[in-house]
Amino acid sequence: MGVARGFARAVVLLALVAVVPVVSIVPPLVGQLTGSPWSLTNVWTWIGWLLLFSAAALGLARPIGTLVRRLARRWSGLRIEDGYRQPGPEPVQLATGYWWNGHSYERTRRDAEMDQQWRRRIGDPALWRDVRWILVGAITLGPVCAVPPAALAGAVVAFTRRSPFAIVIGVVLLAIAAAASPYAWRLLGPLAGRWLRLPDGAAAAERVRELELQRADLTRAQAAEIRRIERDLHDGAQARLVAVGLSLVTAEHLMDADPERAKALLREARKGTSESLTELRELVRGVHPPVLVERGLVDAIRALALDSPLDVSVVSDLDQRLEAPIEAAVYFSVAELLANAAKHAAVGKAQVSFHRSDGTLEVVVEDNGPGAAVLVPGGGLDGIGRRLNAFDGTLTLDSPPGGPTRARMEIPCA
Amino acid sequence: MRIVVAEDLYLLRDGLVRLLETFGHEVVATAATGPETLRAILDHRPDVAIIDVRMPPTNTDEGLVAALEARREVPGLPVLILSQHVEQLYARELIADQAGGVGYLLKDSVFEADQFLDALERVAAGGTALDPVVVTKLLARPTSAPHLARLTERERSVLALMAEGLSNAAIAKRLFLSEGAISKYTTSTFDKLGIHSDDSANRRVLAVLTYLKD
Repeated sequence: MGVARGFARAVVLLALVAVVPVVSIVPPLVGQLTGSPWSLTNVWTWIGWLLLFSAAALGLARPIGTLVRRLARRWSGLRIEDGYRQPGPEPVQLATGYWWNGHSYERTRRDAEMDQQWRRRIGDPALWRDVRWILVGAITLGPVCAVPPAALAGAVVAFTRRSPFAIVIGVVLLAIAAAASPYAWRLLGPLAGRWLRLPDGAAAAERVRELELQRADLTRAQAAEIRRIERDLHDGAQARLVAVGLSLVTAEHLMDADPERAKALLREARKGTSESLTELRELVRGVHPPVLVERGLVDAIRALALDSPLDVSVVSDLDQRLEAPIEAAVYFSVAELLANAAKHAAVGKAQVSFHRSDGTLEVVVEDNGPGAAVLVPGGGLDGIGRRLNAFDGTLTLDSPPGGPTRARMEIPCA
Repeated sequence: MRIVVAEDLYLLRDGLVRLLETFGHEVVATAATGPETLRAILDHRPDVAIIDVRMPPTNTDEGLVAALEARREVPGLPVLILSQHVEQLYARELIADQAGGVGYLLKDSVFEADQFLDALERVAAGGTALDPVVVTKLLARPTSAPHLARLTERERSVLALMAEGLSNAAIAKRLFLSEGAISKYTTSTFDKLGIHSDDSANRRVLAVLTYLKD
């Protein structure tokens, strides 16, 4: 199995890296064989071949590069970003009459569009990485992947000769083909990783863009949260305390004249204080649950589980506290997932598990509900994903129809 | 009563001491940190200790830890935990040793001074005083144990008030029933939960615990 599969992979890779050299070598070969003036000894033949090769390389670079990246992903588990330039914005005409295409000013709309096309197709460094791969692949991966099919072809030829010596040669070649098959294609991973990978600068630029988006997200969410807290305090506890103060002032004045009314006002003031405290308590719980401060993530989730209408079990192998921001993010994410689960009447049980290994915290929330939960952009689950993104964490959802629903959160933590 | 008060915020500690002394109790020691609390309790052996959950040096659950530690050293030593928030999790930890003499109330419960002092005395006498919010949540848990499912609605509400620490007389007043009726309910509850003990205060604690242990 390994041999047959390896052989097939070597052949596929060989075809991929050989296509450009072969396509460009065919016309000169035909010229040589048919005795035309375009023979291999003619200098112009070689110049023509070079032009042909360049055209083929440029034209086929992108599809071949894409295929190689896909194969590297599937066979070697290597994820290589293509990093192609994205289509630019529609050109806009400025007050000066010139057209701006997001990169340069042009006299006409057509020029602006052509410049954009050029930048995207020819000026894209990603394209030149693919062209470079055509050359590198042909001289590195090509010969290695040629070994199994070439040895097999040699063996077939040898076996047709019917001499004992040829048979021996054939057997040896067959052995070489079989021995090389499982290994030849494996060169794909390291080579593609080395030559098709985005340069560090590009990867860094991509990361900067990502972080900018996250920061914008975070600052917006934070501002909204602070506004909410301010409003709650302003309309709630603050207003109530003013009322308490008023009751006390009035009671003070009535103390001698009408002690009964003064007492009633004092009772009212006491009630007002109680109510403000209840409100503040709720507010604090929403901002940062006290158990989280006092006991850390796992016990806070245990406390949450006890208050949940579901039968929630909590398992954990965490042996120390995490950083406070991570604890808070995970707490509110789990709280939201459990609240979601509790909305479905069919859900009776849920499990939350915490596991930490190799600098990654893995939290899984699983319920026995009807499943078929989906990540809607802008929805609650998406919000959880974004909250975790701020810590380079991820949320993956596995919720087949009929259940169970399984939400896995992974957050790097030192 | 001789009381130890452990609370890190000066204003609250002072207010509590003043309140207790107004009602004729003696505050034998105050503490503002977890270790101080433990030492004060073990040195003075008060009739009851009033303890805040969050205290220095770590500002986490120092007070609760000190209370549990003190009760490991001196089983059944009465403690009343006062906190800005109440959690089932902590309540379960406090009553887990089944020794009684445990209170767990919100700080605002001191506003109702009479009820608060009642609760304090109950705890000192080996009873319980749990915040109604916690009790409601504790009893709202879905239970699967068969002998618990046999309790009637009325028996459950009596059990809930028992968990808060009320006496039969107080429960009767709260439910607008006669004291005799309540005592019938408590007896049938004890029977259904399989509790056969002579000490009536202890029986009440055990009933609540049996219910929670599901």
